[in-house]
Amino acid sequence: MLALSRVRKLFRGAPVLDGIELTIRRGETWGLCGPGASGKSVLLKVMCGLLRSDGGNVRIAGVPIEQADEPTLMGLRARFGMLFQNNALFDFMTVGDNVAFPLTRRGGVDPEEIRSRVADRLRAVGLAGSENRFPSELSGGMRKRVGIARAVIARPDILIYDEPTAGLDPVTTSKIYDLLLREREETGATVVVVSSDLPPLLRFAPRIAMIYRGQLHYDGPSSEAADAPDPIVRQFLRGEVEGPL
Amino acid sequence: MKRWLDGIRLFNYVARQTVIAAVRGRRPRGELLRQMDQLGNRSVLFIAVTLGFISMVLVFQTCLQINHITGDLSQVGAEFAKILVHEFGPTLTAMMLATRVGAGIAAEVGSMVVTEQVDALQMCGVDPIEYLISPRFLASLLMTAVLTVLGITVALGMGALIAYLSFHVNPRIFFDLSRIQPGDLATGMAKVVAYGAAIPIVSGFCGLTTHGGSEGVGGATTRAVIASSFAVIALDLFLSCTGLLLFQGGL
Repeated sequence: MLALSRVRKLFRGAPVLDGIELTIRRGETWGLCGPGASGKSVLLKVMCGLLRSDGGNVRIAGVPIEQADEPTLMGLRARFGMLFQNNALFDFMTVGDNVAFPLTRRGGVDPEEIRSRVADRLRAVGLAGSENRFPSELSGGMRKRVGIARAVIARPDILIYDEPTAGLDPVTTSKIYDLLLREREETGATVVVVSSDLPPLLRFAPRIAMIYRGQLHYDGPSSEAADAPDPIVRQFLRGEVEGPL
Repeated sequence: MKRWLDGIRLFNYVARQTVIAAVRGRRPRGELLRQMDQLGNRSVLFIAVTLGFISMVLVFQTCLQINHITGDLSQVGAEFAKILVHEFGPTLTAMMLATRVGAGIAAEVGSMVVTEQVDALQMCGVDPIEYLISPRFLASLLMTAVLTVLGITVALGMGALIAYLSFHVNPRIFFDLSRIQPGDLATGMAKVVAYGAAIPIVSGFCGLTTHGGSEGVGGATTRAVIASSFAVIALDLFLSCTGLLLFQGGL
């Protein structure tokens, strides 16, 4: 579904991604972790074509995106649903309009059906009846749930969650991961999750990768990650103070 | 050097896409009216007061100087109306809009960039230029024209008032529009269109290229005001020279 080969990304001449090799199969759940400023969010944006790589190849559903023009990229991006780190809810729209946005922009869906799907998604995330509220009236956890509802409403092939539980308390974190689990089971979509919150990520994703200074240091079963041969991976996953990090 | 070239290439892309999207006419429903209100209605008082005060100072100073030399103030109104139509009206209005509207567009778009709302638009299959810049471009084209007419009217009225109160110039003599030629109108209209197009494109470009957090938004806003004002001045020079060559017998 997603294939990256020798991907490089530079910012002002400095490599942020350096030789990323990665394949994510259809229906797979893949987790990504790593210290701050290690390139996690940049990797996500390169994966879905929001940023162009400076070297290597990125394929979305078999289509190479390096030379793709903007209309092609837009078509490919429509296969994604994304929850952004800061939720990225449109602050000038109501919750209902935010959730409906991917459907209204795509067109071809009856307004009545859009209303019913918005109500259904908001019910699924525990925010039934919040259609007319504005994002500024919601708590951090509620905004996150609205972001999830917007990401899944168009039934995308690939779901990307960037730090779905950042800044949330442990109870809300568990609720959010329960929600992600339910959405995954319902949609059967390919799921990519980036998180610094390791215990729930390890439970959620059967396969995880660790990125450090733009390079993947581990990509394999999450159950074996803490015993990986690379000392950087071991230290990060065990949360040890002593080590190469 | 490469960054400059990339910036120029990106600016060209933003300008081209803005015009194409405006012609194609795909806009969120009601967005054009909302932007016309934001850019136009909310600038009415600002433009009226600014142009009114500037015209009062200009007319007062002109009358004062002429009074010292010839004492014949009969042509002040006619010349003031002429220069208002082809120069001061459009340019002063645009300079004021560059500060108010330019800063507003850059801040709004820039904060959407740093909070990833622009990325979210793209992930929903929306072209941010078409969605954010194009309605502001059309609104600016229309409202710059409306505000320029308003600014010229207020400036003439306030100029006549100060000429009457300070130098007893009869308003009937002051409101002499006979010196305004078709070339003045054409130059003025060309300026209105050029300024109305340049301000949202330059400010939108500054907003879309915002980096970092709130500091980045502040930087983009400052850049937008400086670049939009500079664009107005550069276009003024170019169009004034062109107008002079075309309509007034060359330099």
